[in-house]
Amino acid sequence: MDAYLIAVGSVVLIYALLAIGLNLQYGETGLINFGHVAFFALGAYASALLALRGWPLPASFAVAAAVAAVAAVPLGLAALRLRQDYLAIVTLGFSETVRLVLQEERAITSGVQGLPGIPKLFGAIGGKGTDLAILLALLAAVALAAWATHLLKASPFGRLLRAIRDNEAAVTALGKDPARYKIQVFMFGAALAGIAGAFYAHFLTFISPEQFVPLVTFYVWMSIILGGVGSLRGALAGTLLLVAFLEGSRFIRDLVPGVAEVQMASVRLAIVGLALILFVLYRPQGLFGRRAS
Amino acid sequence: MTLVGVANLAVNGLVEGAVIALPALALTLVMSIARFPNAATGDLMTLGAYVAVGVQALLVGSAFGTPLLGMTLATVAAVIVCAVVSVAAYELIFRRLGRAAMVASLLASIGLAFLIRSLITLVIGHEQHTFALPLVRAWNFGGLRILPSDLVIGAVALVVLAAVFAWLRFGRSGRLLRAVADNPDLARLSGIRAQRLMWLLWALAGVLSAIGGVLLGVKSVVMPELGWELLLPAFAAMILGGIGSPAGAVIGALLMGVGQELSVPLVGPTYKIAVAFGVLFVVLLLRPAGLFGRPELAR
Amino acid sequence: MLDVRNVCVEFDRFRAVDGVTLSVPPTAIVGIAGTNGAGKTTLFGAIAGQLPLARGEILFEGHDISRLPPNRRARWGLARTFQVPREFGSLTVLDNLRAAAPNDTHESLRAAWFGRPGAARADAELERRADDVLALTGLSKMRDQLASSLSGGQKKLLELARALMGSPKCILLDEPFAGVNPVLVARLLDVLRAVHARGIALVVIEHNLQALKAFAQRLVVMDQGRVIADGEPGAVLDDRRVQEAYMGGVV
Repeated sequence: MDAYLIAVGSVVLIYALLAIGLNLQYGETGLINFGHVAFFALGAYASALLALRGWPLPASFAVAAAVAAVAAVPLGLAALRLRQDYLAIVTLGFSETVRLVLQEERAITSGVQGLPGIPKLFGAIGGKGTDLAILLALLAAVALAAWATHLLKASPFGRLLRAIRDNEAAVTALGKDPARYKIQVFMFGAALAGIAGAFYAHFLTFISPEQFVPLVTFYVWMSIILGGVGSLRGALAGTLLLVAFLEGSRFIRDLVPGVAEVQMASVRLAIVGLALILFVLYRPQGLFGRRAS
Repeated sequence: MTLVGVANLAVNGLVEGAVIALPALALTLVMSIARFPNAATGDLMTLGAYVAVGVQALLVGSAFGTPLLGMTLATVAAVIVCAVVSVAAYELIFRRLGRAAMVASLLASIGLAFLIRSLITLVIGHEQHTFALPLVRAWNFGGLRILPSDLVIGAVALVVLAAVFAWLRFGRSGRLLRAVADNPDLARLSGIRAQRLMWLLWALAGVLSAIGGVLLGVKSVVMPELGWELLLPAFAAMILGGIGSPAGAVIGALLMGVGQELSVPLVGPTYKIAVAFGVLFVVLLLRPAGLFGRPELAR
Repeated sequence: MLDVRNVCVEFDRFRAVDGVTLSVPPTAIVGIAGTNGAGKTTLFGAIAGQLPLARGEILFEGHDISRLPPNRRARWGLARTFQVPREFGSLTVLDNLRAAAPNDTHESLRAAWFGRPGAARADAELERRADDVLALTGLSKMRDQLASSLSGGQKKLLELARALMGSPKCILLDEPFAGVNPVLVARLLDVLRAVHARGIALVVIEHNLQALKAFAQRLVVMDQGRVIADGEPGAVLDDRRVQEAYMGGVV
């Protein structure tokens, strides 16, 4: 049971990193990023590929964050010139293109077969110690990310982000260029996703392109909607609920025999779809949100 | 690459483009009136394809089972189901979101897409299906190979498009729809007329998606990701052609189809989606209004 | 100070602004009037940078700003308010002003994460300036309220207050009196006079001709994209062309 809780806890924290980044991009700045999973994937693959070539993990993690952040730049530039809905479509297309590249460039990524045997983080400790160490490292990472985000939100920079979200044209008319702020936010959120990806790769020890489908992006969206868009605490709470739901669905399979995993996947998809619709309709401020978004 | 090779790709691209034009048109009409990109369009196509393939399977062997009659009835069934689902989605979801920000409708449409897809796989399963149609051999004009089925697909698509455009141009409700699409402020029509118009719009979107799905299913195979995979090219076509321009969406779709096919010798067949994305990205950066759209609507 | 030379703005092939030339000296108060659709707001859009010029040029203090984006023009000292207020709804009134003030060194990620030298002092100075502007515009009592909770008239004052935070030399005001009840009009006039007293030039689009007549030093009237009169308010309003443009109404 311990091992199970530690594993679930690790998943929660990985998703939390994703949610913190997305919440900053959308909740704070109004950027509709439907391609978040792309940065997750890039971070995972970057770190995994380097580690498989012998790089020490701290270095590969750093590169993962950097790769994700750099990949966010063209999207950030696009975000400057596009309306929200166009940005949504472009980011979605971006993430599908990234997945396609990961799938096709077999020479580098082993394509659909994926990358097995990725060095486990803290593998040297062995046994339960490794799992605990991963959990603690993730805890530290999430705490650091949350703290950095909190500082950001409380600062003049954060104030300007909210101003951009509320009325970008007014910000421009006041002499400020929303561009630099949007790009930085995009990059920071992407870097967090990249680090999450690196943790994911060295936790699971196997990654493949199918793990990085748009559904994952919308899992994260569901987290921030559940928790109340714009609220850091809400993002964390929403993540807990999301993982509870994902894990719960696995338990249902154990309780009800004869349900194939593939069917369960469809049920999960249905529930996510339904949840998106219902929350948007009836509770846009989320479960813990204060004001209607 | 020989000239004949290029011509073959171009022909295939035109057929694909004609099929993409149907959801692209649905997208652009909904976009200009309801003001959001309807991400459920793709999965509505998938639904249409599955309904049609199912109905056709039922009819095979019966008096109605001939290819022509069977397909026609199957398509009619698909059209009815998708139109109903589309209007229901409007009534239950998008109308209620009317005053909310665009993101809300967009997220809801993603949710709807997931819901439709998951229900299809729960009820029918993940296997692929194909339409029961006679095998055809390609006609060969000195190297230029044309599949008769492709010709039929292209023809059906063009006929449907022509009918819709005729309706938009000459039909009474169609002209009204067109007027509202051109001038968003007209959407403030009050009362039953506005309601009826919206039902027409969403039904039309359903019809176009259904036929697009069937044609796509005929051309390739019917599988759960069928429509979703076409969503990005359809979006790209809509944006390339210009928001608010139905004709633009069709031309954009044809260009996208041909462009994607012509890119195959360069990047391989699996990167077609990437090509769609590339086109989308470049167009939005250079000329967000697209070929025939109006710049005011773009940014 | 502000030189608009033969400016044309086109939408598709329609000329919304057709060869407008206009000059605003420092510390002047210029009113712009005209019927609906005359091109007044479009002209502002061209001057402030939201709309591209089809022809002509715009100079501010001798610099050619014709191709600059809106934020760069604002940095030169040319501010603009909008017809429909664009307040930052989720921020308090005070934060609206703080967000509006030029604050490059402190509005950065580095400042957020690693602190900034002199932060406390800069923050205090910023708050002092904001309070000063709040007092000038009469919004002091609303200081800590959310901008979304303000009334229409108060939001207009907030627009003006925000524009002042950038220490502009010239403010383009788009229909500041629109939708403001008559009691507040007098107050608003006082605020505008106080702003002007600080040496800031004002260019005001207004339909309320009585208010303009009392307040503007010069009146420019537009019709169908062109300037049809430019001069002392009394004389302009007596001009027959102007009266005809307003279709025979008494102005």
